[in-house]
Amino acid sequence: MIMKKIAILHTGGTVSSYYDDKKGGVSTKYTAKDILNLYPEIKHIAKIESRLIQNMWSQDTRFSHYNLLAKEVEKEVKNGAEGVIITHGTDFMHYTSSALAFILENCPIPVIITGSQRSSDRGSSDAKLNLICACQFIVNSNYQGVGICMHESTNDDACLILHPTKTRKFHTSRRDAFKVVNGKPIARVTSQGNVGFIGKHNKSEDKKLKLKLFDDKLKIGIVKVHPNMFAEELLFYKNYDGLVIEAPGLGNLPTTKLDKETIEHEKILDTLKTLAKKMPVVLAPQTIFGRLNLHVYSNQPIYQEIGLLGNHSDMTSETTFLKLAWLLSNYKKDEIPKLITKNFRDEISPRTSLDYLDYVYS
Amino acid sequence: MFIVKMENINYEKIGFKAGLEIHQQLDGKKLFCNCPVETNKKEKPDLIVKRKLRAVAGAEGEKDIAALYEEGKDKTFVYEFYHDCNCLVELDEEPINHINKYALEAALQISLLLKAKPVKKIKVMRKIVIDGSNVSGFQRTMLIAENGKIETSKGTIKIPTILLEEEAAKKISTNGKEVTYRLDRLGVPLLEIGTSADIKDPEHAKETAEKIGMILRSVDLTKRGIGTIRQDVNVSIKNSPRIEIKGFQDLKSIPKIVEYEVLRLQHDAPKEGEVRKAEPDLTSSFLRPLPGEARMYPETDHEEIIITNELLKKIKIPELLTEKTIKLENKFNLPSEIAEELIKNKINLENYTKDYKEVSPSLIAQTLITAPKEIRARFHFEPKLKEKDFRFVFENLNRQKIPKDSVIDILVDLAKGKTPNLDNFEKLSDKDLEREIEKIIIENKNAPFNALMGIAMSKLKGKTEAKKIADIIKKFI
Repeated sequence: MIMKKIAILHTGGTVSSYYDDKKGGVSTKYTAKDILNLYPEIKHIAKIESRLIQNMWSQDTRFSHYNLLAKEVEKEVKNGAEGVIITHGTDFMHYTSSALAFILENCPIPVIITGSQRSSDRGSSDAKLNLICACQFIVNSNYQGVGICMHESTNDDACLILHPTKTRKFHTSRRDAFKVVNGKPIARVTSQGNVGFIGKHNKSEDKKLKLKLFDDKLKIGIVKVHPNMFAEELLFYKNYDGLVIEAPGLGNLPTTKLDKETIEHEKILDTLKTLAKKMPVVLAPQTIFGRLNLHVYSNQPIYQEIGLLGNHSDMTSETTFLKLAWLLSNYKKDEIPKLITKNFRDEISPRTSLDYLDYVYS
Repeated sequence: MFIVKMENINYEKIGFKAGLEIHQQLDGKKLFCNCPVETNKKEKPDLIVKRKLRAVAGAEGEKDIAALYEEGKDKTFVYEFYHDCNCLVELDEEPINHINKYALEAALQISLLLKAKPVKKIKVMRKIVIDGSNVSGFQRTMLIAENGKIETSKGTIKIPTILLEEEAAKKISTNGKEVTYRLDRLGVPLLEIGTSADIKDPEHAKETAEKIGMILRSVDLTKRGIGTIRQDVNVSIKNSPRIEIKGFQDLKSIPKIVEYEVLRLQHDAPKEGEVRKAEPDLTSSFLRPLPGEARMYPETDHEEIIITNELLKKIKIPELLTEKTIKLENKFNLPSEIAEELIKNKINLENYTKDYKEVSPSLIAQTLITAPKEIRARFHFEPKLKEKDFRFVFENLNRQKIPKDSVIDILVDLAKGKTPNLDNFEKLSDKDLEREIEKIIIENKNAPFNALMGIAMSKLKGKTEAKKIADIIKKFI
């Protein structure tokens, strides 16, 4: 049997780390060759070519890293790779999966991002199963596009392939930290190579990869609404290119002046008006699960009047942030109000299924 | 039972008044979420959800009498939920999304066909319904157009209002204080067309319902099949309250049930208005008191929908089914029943006539419409014929490989999943045919025409037309 050709691109993170006695903690130090030597099994699954792109912690990611990574993927596609695995730090893994999903338009091959919650120098590391499952998924499916491959549960028996734009890290340390928000996992894959798709997925033959890169000069902020908020927290972003606001509930903001204690809220509304004139200001659900609706409460009609965006969105704030940056990088600013709630990479679910939460923690 | 001669009723004299309320489901997606329209779930539900409802005051502060009536029953509502056609919206766990623009467009098409004037601003309202058939305790409804009319044999019937609303959940069972509803149907777009009380007599009620039904079916998004359209009749006579009769199984039963109701009102009129159910024996039975008027308050979760002139200009008014039928009839010289069936089944005859230029359009039409019926009658089974089966036959007719008499036999084979052996049906050339028949005549010397015809038919069946055989035999004897 001819084995599929997979390129593994290493970017650092816990999966590439071992104990550093000088620094007194784990450090991203393994080379590409080291990792392959740690997990020789994968060579029996596919023809592996492995190289190091960068050795970094994922929390150090900048937009330019997304562009760099996307170009490396493009190179591999041109070289005839039938799948790409990106080993990555987990903290910002879901930001990278979202960013790559947006950049890699019409991606013809699977690009699977994986990593680990326990460093690879431990016998109990989750890296081995994650890496093997990523290989198995590429070999045993015809998936096209970006996905995350991480543990399904605390058992070392199966992984889930998770949606690139609807996934989030939910736990600081568990190996099953990654869950899909407002959607379902794409597939389940075992170390033996059994692949079961959970939702539908389509394969198309004539996909031609096109890169739509990020403008790395863009300044986008995320701000979380909280009690006792002050207008200056928002005003801080006046010279930014865009702002994402994590709003509580269906999309509410402290904008109602009801007594002398809440005078500040008038200022907050004014500041929002000012910001929305200068840049796209997009709401995202602070609750994480569920969909925004700006038509329910009497304080809300003004939000759309002053130009706040994101009504009916169920994107995570992380994906909203990257989508806003990506739209500003590739489209005209005046198109953004329309495009922010348009689906590009299935980042918005058309309907909220009751069983979405069944796939989170049971 | 009342022993009265029906034809003696003078409807004008007794102050007969009747109007219709027609409910028509639309296909596609649900009205306020992206769930697909599915209304006939047979499998077990994925989930059971139990809820309570209480009567709440509407915006005007008045409690609805129908609502109070139901509240007295202290019920638990059991909802059967399906993941593939229900989401959080039907469960009242998520505010509604944007209105389904295709349903809105279809509602506007129908309004224009009914010569009604669309409103400038559509305000979604909540109609309080606490029998459990709406999980939220209200049904969303909106006025789409006003002042429509249709012409009937007994004059103009006004259509004061056309509403677009959400279909309710289907009641499955009642067990003590527990009422079970299935959620597949909840939220399906439903048009409500109300006529004025201008209907002159029971027969006229049927005619009006038929006319409106035809207009509804002229729009593509209209859902077809059992239960997708429902007609309620409102009846009163001098000094009687208004009675609403619902649940007609078919339009033919309208005149009789209305007649019986009029007789009941003449002899034993109730004090209060009633909602009654049409029974299969053509009588009606009490369902509940007629609901009061204060039942609505605004749906705050949706913005006002502005109907601009530009939007209205974009709405295409479809051709009526009756017009389409006449056109088709004339163009291809078809019997009207065949043309009607083609239109009803949305079969595009022109596509076929373009593809098979050598086959007469009337043969194509007959094959598509009459052949399945003939097979059912002659062979006693329901032929499940697909488009490709018909195309197989037309293709071979077109290439003159088979005679038209063989169409039924070939379709029977195809319907049974067999591959027809075309050699059995192959059309004989005139020369071969003459030779075959000559042989039969020689072998059966002195046989009369009918006997020769019988033998020749059994031997040459499907290979040529009967008329041709007869002509050749006549030529030889």
